[in-house]
Parts: sequence; structure tokens; C-alpha cells
Amino acid sequence: MAQVSTQEAAIRPVEVAQEIKPERHISWWHLVVYIFLAIFTITSIGPLIFSFISSFKSMSEVLIFPPTFFPRTWITTNYATILSNPLFLRWILNAFIYAAAAAALNVLFSGMAGYALSRLNFPGKNIIFLTTLGVMMIPATVTLIPKFLIVNNLHLVNTYGALILPAMAQPFSVFIMVQFMKGLPKELEESARIDGASIWRTFYQIILPQVKPALTAVAIITFQGAWNDFLWPLVALGTQDMYTLPLGLFFFKSAHFTEYNLLIASSMFNTIPMLILFFIFQRYFIEGAVSSGVKG
Amino acid sequence: MATEPVRSSLVSAPSLTAEGRQRLMRGRPKRLGRDTLTAYLFLTPYLFVLLVFLIFASLYGLGLSLFKVDIGFTTPEFVGFQNYQRLFEQLFTNPGLSLFWISMVNILKFVIVVVIGQTILALILALILQTTLFGRGIFRTIFYIPAITSSVATALIFLWLYNPDGLVNYLLSLVHISGPDWLNDPFWALPAIMLLNIWTTAASFMIYFMAALQDLPKEVLEASAIDGASRFQSFRYITVPLLRPTIFLVVALGTIGSFQMFDQAKFMTNGGPLNSTLTPLLEIYNAAFQDSHFGLAAAMSVLLFIVIFIVTIIQRRLIEPSTS
Repeated sequence: MAQVSTQEAAIRPVEVAQEIKPERHISWWHLVVYIFLAIFTITSIGPLIFSFISSFKSMSEVLIFPPTFFPRTWITTNYATILSNPLFLRWILNAFIYAAAAAALNVLFSGMAGYALSRLNFPGKNIIFLTTLGVMMIPATVTLIPKFLIVNNLHLVNTYGALILPAMAQPFSVFIMVQFMKGLPKELEESARIDGASIWRTFYQIILPQVKPALTAVAIITFQGAWNDFLWPLVALGTQDMYTLPLGLFFFKSAHFTEYNLLIASSMFNTIPMLILFFIFQRYFIEGAVSSGVKG
Repeated sequence: MATEPVRSSLVSAPSLTAEGRQRLMRGRPKRLGRDTLTAYLFLTPYLFVLLVFLIFASLYGLGLSLFKVDIGFTTPEFVGFQNYQRLFEQLFTNPGLSLFWISMVNILKFVIVVVIGQTILALILALILQTTLFGRGIFRTIFYIPAITSSVATALIFLWLYNPDGLVNYLLSLVHISGPDWLNDPFWALPAIMLLNIWTTAASFMIYFMAALQDLPKEVLEASAIDGASRFQSFRYITVPLLRPTIFLVVALGTIGSFQMFDQAKFMTNGGPLNSTLTPLLEIYNAAFQDSHFGLAAAMSVLLFIVIFIVTIIQRRLIEPSTS
């Protein structure tokens, strides 16, 4: 507690008690807080809720002025049109393949790399770790065009490989894994080694289960990044049937430019899966995003 | 497991098999060699990505800027600093005609407004959540939702909201302001995108501040309250200085991110109207993939990187002078 000298405490005990109480219960402050809570709740989810409800409106109703909140007639043809488009479904599939593969591989490979960097001793360990830190600060701009040219030379343009390969092991994920694994007690490995377990078994059966939160966080961040990725698929993919969802939406937008009802409905396919994932794994989204800055 | 007291592993091991004893007897050097090989095997996928797509790509980008390259038309030609010369000539003779420098001016405006806006908003959101007594978790979830949406999905939604007959203008009309055609107005298009960005990114930076606020030493704040400081005083003289590292982090990350804004500019306005929303990354993309000037685009990337780097260093000096 605060260091209040005994003299001061003797002199002002009564005044202190009286001073603090009213300050903490001033209702106008709490009122301000509640008002802000309400405002920010509306601004945070208002656009999404409004769009979702409006995705059931017809094209003419979606842009009438003044706007209506609930549709006068609820129609589902927007979604029917979208879902009957095989290309659209292909886009969803591609996005899912990219996101799931990137997440699974990144968890595995970053876990392996993180394990090596945090629990094993070998020459070059520090260089690699420092390089990891350094590389995290390079903006994506610098590597965009070279990445394309590299992928082009590997004849991987317009394939899943172009998407998944650069994403299958990411410096930031390795960094998270190292931070989490560093904190585990050394005894884990020593007892495993004594019992004759190979390094792989030690990694897979002993260390990995200990860092499940980190693994989940990495999986979620990677999935989210890949699912929402626009620029790299734009650069690396060429034919419509390989588009991921954000890229497909871009194309969809130019095809149906004024049909806002369709556009809003189509955006839901990108948002709703992420929202579902978010509600289930909230903690990991939030903790994963923070661990980069705060712990580092 | 983490809280068990440290004990000698010999004592705590459940069984010391003959094989285990043999391994112990063999001594360290051999294990070190085995460790190294295994470590590098474990690292191989990551090293592949790190070396090829990050380090080699960065150096490649640097080198590429010294060439004139277009895919499939002519062979690459070493031109030294010509690409940079061209860009700087444009700067000194007629910047208004140079798409690259227009984009730099645009992005500077964008970065200043967005970084200041999202930092303040993130801090406000975090403070509100900190002071809330009930339902903190629910509100945190709600406030964080904009951060998990994709740039494309929100671009679609805001394309609709920013329509001249859309919700934004409707709300303005309620206070007797006649809103412009946001995305088609050369003056208002960039601010419209700024607002969209602040909305999305403030939510993700809010949690940095939340974590930092929770780590603040409570005794200092309580002491100041007992000594009679008002809320505002204790905020200004105690909380804010203690938050400096986090403020720097949010500002730096926000700056690096904002300088590379691409998705909304490409998706919503494609750099228009009249290049008012042209961003450097969009111009780099156009130079490379539409005009096929890969070398020039690489040079632009390098320049953008240098600008970001310098700005971040300046921010570090300004925000955390004691530790730099």
C-alpha cells in the first residue's frame, strides 16, 4: 500500500476517508462510461448486424433512402444466387484449403523450429533466433515482388503451393513458440532422455502437449491471416477457379457492381466463419495478438 | 508440473534402464553432435521459408531495383541506379505528375490521421473496459469484433454504407448535413478509407493497452489517489508515462501497417478518384503487374521501406527518448 507517514495519517485520517468516498461514487463518471460503452457497442457491431439483416433485402430495398433497418420482405434469393454459383463455392473451398493447410503446417513447423531454438543447443542457434527477430520487422512490401518472381521461377504460380509454401512456417509463430517453450522446466527432457526417448518423441509427446495454448493461438492467427489474405493471392493466382474468397469477392464485386444486396450477402461468407471461430476460441485470438508485443 | 521443486533428475526419474545408464555414461560431446543434426532437421522447413522467402527475397528485391526487368518481353538489363534516378527526378521536377510521389503524399496524410486516431481510440476503448465493472469480457469481445473481419468483407460493407444513398449520409442528414458521394469525391475518398481503417485497427490495438493497463502498479495509483490527485491528474502524470512503451509499440506497429495500406485502396476505389487514394503499395503493384516495370517497382519498394524505417526511428526518439 502507499507509504503514508504516521504523522500524516494521524493528522488527516478523517479527511482522507471523507475525500475518497465521494470521488469514487460520482455518478456522472459512470454515466460517461456507460454512454461510451453503448456508443462503442453500436459502432463495433452495428455495421455488421445491419449488413447481415440487409443481406435479406432485395436490390431495390437495399439502397432506398431513407434506409430501412428490417427488410419489408425477407428474401433469400441473394444467398440462393450466390450458393448456386459453382465458382463461388470453389472460392470458399480454396480459401479453406489455404487457411487449414497453412495453419496445420505452421503449427507443426514453427513448433519444431521453436523447440530446436529453445530447448536444444547447437551452433548457429543465436544467429537464427536473432534473424527471426530481425525478419519480423521487414515490411511485406519489400518481399512482395521478389516472392512473386521466386514462385514464378518455381513454376508454382496459380497453385495452392504458391499460397501455402510461404505461409507454412512463419517467424512470428516461431517466436511465440520459443517464448512459450523456454518457460518449461528442463526436467521434462532430462527424464525423457534418461528413459531413452529420441528427440522427436520428446518433442512430440512431452513438450508439445505442454504448450497447447500457444499451438492453438498460432493455429488461429495463421488461419485468420490466410482466410483474410487479399494481396498475396491477388499477386500469386491467375485463374478464377483458383481464387480464394477475398479475391473472388473482388471479382464478384466487379461483376455485380451495383447489386449491393448480393455484395453484402457475399461478404457474409468471409465474415461469418471467422466470427464462429472467434466466438469459440476468443481467448486465443486475443492472447495470440498480444503476445507479440507485450511479452516480446 | 512447472511448480515442482527442482530436483536432481537421477532421483526423480521413475526408472533408470540399462540403456539410459549407458547414455548417461557416454558423456556430452556425442550428444552435442546428435543434437546439432537433429536441431537442424527440426529447423529445416522453417529455415527454408526464412532463407528463401524472407532473406533471399529481401536481397533479391534490393538487387532487382538495380535492373530493368519485364517478364517475357526483354531480357533483364542492369541499369544501376537509373530507377532511383528516375524517381528522384520526378520528385524534383514535377512531383504532381509522378504517381509514386502522389502516393507517398497520400500515404503520409493517411498514416498521420490513422495512427493518431487508432491509438487514441484504442486507448479510450481499453480505459473504458478497464473501468467497467460488469460484463467486461462480453464488451471486450464485442469491441474486438471489427479486428477479425477481413479487409475485403468490410470494404464491401462500407462500399454500401458510403453510397450517396447509404447509411452514413442518412445519419448525417438527420443532423442536417448533406453528405458527399464519399468514394467518388477526390477530397473525401481518402478520409472515408481512413475512418474504415481506424475502425478496424483500433480494436486490435485496444488489447495491447488493456494488457498494459492491467500490468500497471496499483500501489502508485492508490498512493496518488490518497494524496488527493484527481482522476485526470493521476492519468496524465502517472498512467500515461507508464504506458509509454505500449504507446510506442502501438504507434510503431500502426505506422508500419498504415504505410502499407493496399486492400481498401485497391478494392474500393482502385486508387481513384483522380489518384486521391493511390497508395505506394498500390502503385508498386500497378508498376509491376500492369506496366511490367518490375525493377522500378522494386526500387519503389526499397524507398518505401527506407521511409518507414526512418519514421519508426523518429517515433522511437520522440516517444521513448530515454531508452533509445
